Amino acid sequence: MNAPSGLDLSSIPERIQSEVQRAIQRSIKGVEYIASSGPSLGATPKDVLHKRGTMNLYHYRPVADEIYRVPIVIVMATTNRGYILDLVPGQSFIEFLLKSGYDVYMLDWTAPTPEEKSLGIEDYVLDFIPDCVRRVQRDSGETDVSVIGYCFGGVLSLLYGAIFSDGPMKNLICFTTPVDFREMKLFSNFSDRRYFDVDRLVDSVGNVPPEMILTSFEMLRPASRAASQIQLWENIWNDEFVKSYRMFDRWATDTLPLAGEYFRQITKKLMWDNKLYNDTMEVGGRPVDLAKITVPFLHAVAEHDHIVPYDAAKPLVQKIGSTDKQEVILKGGHVSLVAGANAIKRLWPKLDSWLGERST
Amino acid sequence: MANAGNDPVALWHNMLGEMEKGFNAFANQAMASPEFSKVVNQVGGVSAGAQKQLGDMMEKYLTSMNLPSRAQMTNFGERLAAIEGQLAEITTLLRLSHPTPAEHAAPAQHATPAESVVPPAPKPPRTKRPPEPARK
Repeated sequence: MNAPSGLDLSSIPERIQSEVQRAIQRSIKGVEYIASSGPSLGATPKDVLHKRGTMNLYHYRPVADEIYRVPIVIVMATTNRGYILDLVPGQSFIEFLLKSGYDVYMLDWTAPTPEEKSLGIEDYVLDFIPDCVRRVQRDSGETDVSVIGYCFGGVLSLLYGAIFSDGPMKNLICFTTPVDFREMKLFSNFSDRRYFDVDRLVDSVGNVPPEMILTSFEMLRPASRAASQIQLWENIWNDEFVKSYRMFDRWATDTLPLAGEYFRQITKKLMWDNKLYNDTMEVGGRPVDLAKITVPFLHAVAEHDHIVPYDAAKPLVQKIGSTDKQEVILKGGHVSLVAGANAIKRLWPKLDSWLGERST
Repeated sequence: MANAGNDPVALWHNMLGEMEKGFNAFANQAMASPEFSKVVNQVGGVSAGAQKQLGDMMEKYLTSMNLPSRAQMTNFGERLAAIEGQLAEITTLLRLSHPTPAEHAAPAQHATPAESVVPPAPKPPRTKRPPEPARK
């Protein structure tokens, strides 16, 4: 039988040997994988500056000899834990910021308790964020703060920035933040008002369970979990691959429940009525006009974001009133935009060069 | 070595990637239909209600057995972590205000890994400027 053109027959024994070795390694490492716990995440030294219910404010201990004048407050998405931005040393966005000379605070969330089911968007925007900003001002001794919001943390930061447009926010950075919720087509279809009875759901469950949030994320790419598990098995001999897989998998499945009222408001105001895009949004009776945000603004979006498609994020930069505003489209997906090897070489240096000159 | 076009492992990876993309695209198309939304929400509504009822029932059962539920244990764990955090802060403040004679003599050498409560270093000055080429 003739070999197909381009196939080097002499390489076959070598290839078989390599595959056999990998198969043996897979068996050994597979047992190790089951028996061991994953890498420790979110371990950059920090102090808990304040904790109130679902809200946690951390201050990461500076590591640079001198730091920029303006501190950063990161507002994490309410569906996930903040340690995605603080994976292991060398792959931690927080560590990168600290080493680059920033003073970093993070507003992170824990699961709302059943008693917190009545928290609404107004609690996050008119209470939690302003409270944290005040505490950061007091702790840092600075009036100005730069705010970075990731995903829905970006939406909350926008609402805060628009309502407190004469407040202490000096710079606003959003990572992959949706504004036109019609363009989140699958989420939009899942929550179709004709069939999705959000009142019944919230009234019956209180807080929306994390399994439901996780399922809705996973439904966006239903084959990807199975494919990633096959990839894990194939690469289980590779310690670096396994470490990375475990970090991201742990984070992705560590979804938080959402306060019932907050979920109801998001569904009705944003998913159904698209109020942020239509300029009719209000929070606690206070109108939201994104054009009132006039501070320097950066929006980083991912080219292959399946959670917040580009079309959902695209109109944001137009709506912001700042003259100093920029949108950057980077390779990657919703998570790889901010964490992992892709982020290290793309987003992080871009952010540093943009923010550094605006932080003095 | 075989080139990528003939390498069975590379071909398998390629096929896996294509299958994943194809299935995701197909499923996304199906999920974009109003019929899908209708069915999912009917099933989801029933299942959420049933789950809630089951959860309530389990909670009552666990209460009657004098046992905590998972939610209570999670809450308990998080509160414990918060208390540990506050204890660490208090210990730090106490150490700062009342250093032991040993800490006076050699503060750094007495910190063992178990005593991870290291007093925060004095805050660095806020004088940093961006690197020269980046300045406006």
